[in-house]
Amino acid sequence: MKSYARQRNAEAASPYTPVPARVEEAVKLTDREMFFVLTMPAPIDHTPGQFLMVGLPGYGEAPISISSPRCGTRRVELCIREVGNLTRAIHRLGQGDILWVRGPFGRGFPVDEMERKDILFVAGGIGLVPMRSLIKTMLNKRRSFGRLTLLYGVKSPDEILFKEELKEWKRAGMDIRITVDRPHPGWDGNVGVVTTLIGPLRVDDSKTVAVLVGPPVMYKYVILSLGNKKLRGTEIYLSLERRMKCGLGKCGHCQINSAYACQEGPVFSLADIRHLNEAI
Amino acid sequence: MGTMEIITRKDFRRLVEGLLGDYTLYGPVEKEGFPAFARIERFSQLRLSRTPTHLSAKEFLFPPRETLLRFDLKNGDVREVVDAQNQAIIGLHPCDIHAVNLLDRVFSYGTPDRNYLARRKRTVIIGTECTPDEYCFCSSLHTMTVDRGFDLFLHETERGFIVRTGTKRGRRLLERYTSATKAEKADLERLERMVERKEKMFRTRLDAEPSQLPLIYRGADSSPVWDRIGRVCYGCGSCNHVCPTCYCFDVKDDITLDLEDATRYRVWDGCTLEDFAKVAGGHNFRKARSARLRHRFNRKFRYLADRFKGLFCVGCGRCSRTCLVRINISEVTNEIIRETKER
Repeated sequence: MKSYARQRNAEAASPYTPVPARVEEAVKLTDREMFFVLTMPAPIDHTPGQFLMVGLPGYGEAPISISSPRCGTRRVELCIREVGNLTRAIHRLGQGDILWVRGPFGRGFPVDEMERKDILFVAGGIGLVPMRSLIKTMLNKRRSFGRLTLLYGVKSPDEILFKEELKEWKRAGMDIRITVDRPHPGWDGNVGVVTTLIGPLRVDDSKTVAVLVGPPVMYKYVILSLGNKKLRGTEIYLSLERRMKCGLGKCGHCQINSAYACQEGPVFSLADIRHLNEAI
Repeated sequence: MGTMEIITRKDFRRLVEGLLGDYTLYGPVEKEGFPAFARIERFSQLRLSRTPTHLSAKEFLFPPRETLLRFDLKNGDVREVVDAQNQAIIGLHPCDIHAVNLLDRVFSYGTPDRNYLARRKRTVIIGTECTPDEYCFCSSLHTMTVDRGFDLFLHETERGFIVRTGTKRGRRLLERYTSATKAEKADLERLERMVERKEKMFRTRLDAEPSQLPLIYRGADSSPVWDRIGRVCYGCGSCNHVCPTCYCFDVKDDITLDLEDATRYRVWDGCTLEDFAKVAGGHNFRKARSARLRHRFNRKFRYLADRFKGLFCVGCGRCSRTCLVRINISEVTNEIIRETKER
């Protein structure tokens, strides 16, 4: 990949015009996921749960959740799974290369409203990526929040993301429980889907907010389990993945009934989407 | 309504020839026996048509393929492309103008879409009167007449045209190219009679008021109609293609063989096509054709109604007219209305 020195044309104001973000670090996390640290041309003020449209000329663009905490600096961290042509090309990038980005877009998690609450994070696979932004934002203000619990389900132990950070978060007082679908020899942790971790958990329904990020199939069962813990729809937040082409509420791809995932989402409260068929 | 004047057929010809000089002009021509919108280069090509065209005129405001950005890969630069020239579209029927008004709302909603809006601003719209065929049902959606969204609207009479002026630009065109005279009371009455006559011609009607349709559709998510039409639908996307208010698009990239330049462009997309709601990794949020059709019908009558303050069906009947397996939007809607009344 060539490196791009010049900034974009200063007059450019089309909402489709991306800005060049410089890759500072590109680290392989697992077989499929790479972690990127980027420097944006201008400071970025995002809310955890928001996303960028990330692209390479000739390959197109895709929505990618921001993985770094709220910061107000030029630094952005992304974790990208290789699933197609664009992400395959992105995985070939290294330090000094340029990614073209637009955003941040969408509505993130209402972090301020979650202060003083116990937070129950439920992540499935790559769902930990947007959640990491929220977790790290909260850990930066650890005393503003109650108990922090992370339930993290992955297919197999080598798909666990941010292994070192998980240890740090534990040291910062987070209760972390991991489960795998398919254990390897030597795995001595939990086995089974993530809902198996919810049953034994003590949840104070008067002050707990649940944050769910994972594949569609996970939501259905996790929501049922959380219902058994008496959590209300207004206290459950989830981030919905959809195909997106513009990020501007125009192209129509991310529409879920009358809601656009790129405008009213991707983070929704369960109460807001429960009545929308096709949402979950 | 704005002001009303009378022009003669000669005036009309002068108006069209004036437009030909100053604008790229599009209007209905005869193509293999059918009316179709096309570029007009001589007055004689223009065939004002009272019957609807198969394709809408949206392509002149929202091209099927439109470049958004050009990347200069050698220098690491990107430039936006906004391609807007003075153009005029003549021969839009009231439903088509209602559709343009909806597209205007869509593309100015939230973050404005400069590509569409720049082109729209430089587009003169001249409406003409129509006669409904068996698929038209605009009278049921209150889109049979229109009073904004055009520069001029021409109602053909035996002697010439009654002209309604919708904008200052329309007024200037009228003054510049014609010797319009003030309409008299008799002309206004004639216009009213024409509207009344047109209303009586509709063979297709919806059995509910447009304001009731969002709620009726809301109650129809599990109607058997979706499976029934889903079973015959080819998922070909023709309904999206011909619809004057379908505006969904895909964004793609092209790169030159020397890898020095790339373009990012948008192309029309359609929610009835299989891949429309498919995400990387393969999950398809609307895998079944029945789910995609339900989505499309709901987009026309319910999903967008609140956000854009209006239904996204203008009753032009194009989707029904073009559907290979005869899925008919007014029949489906009437079936849903019937189910609702029976509940």
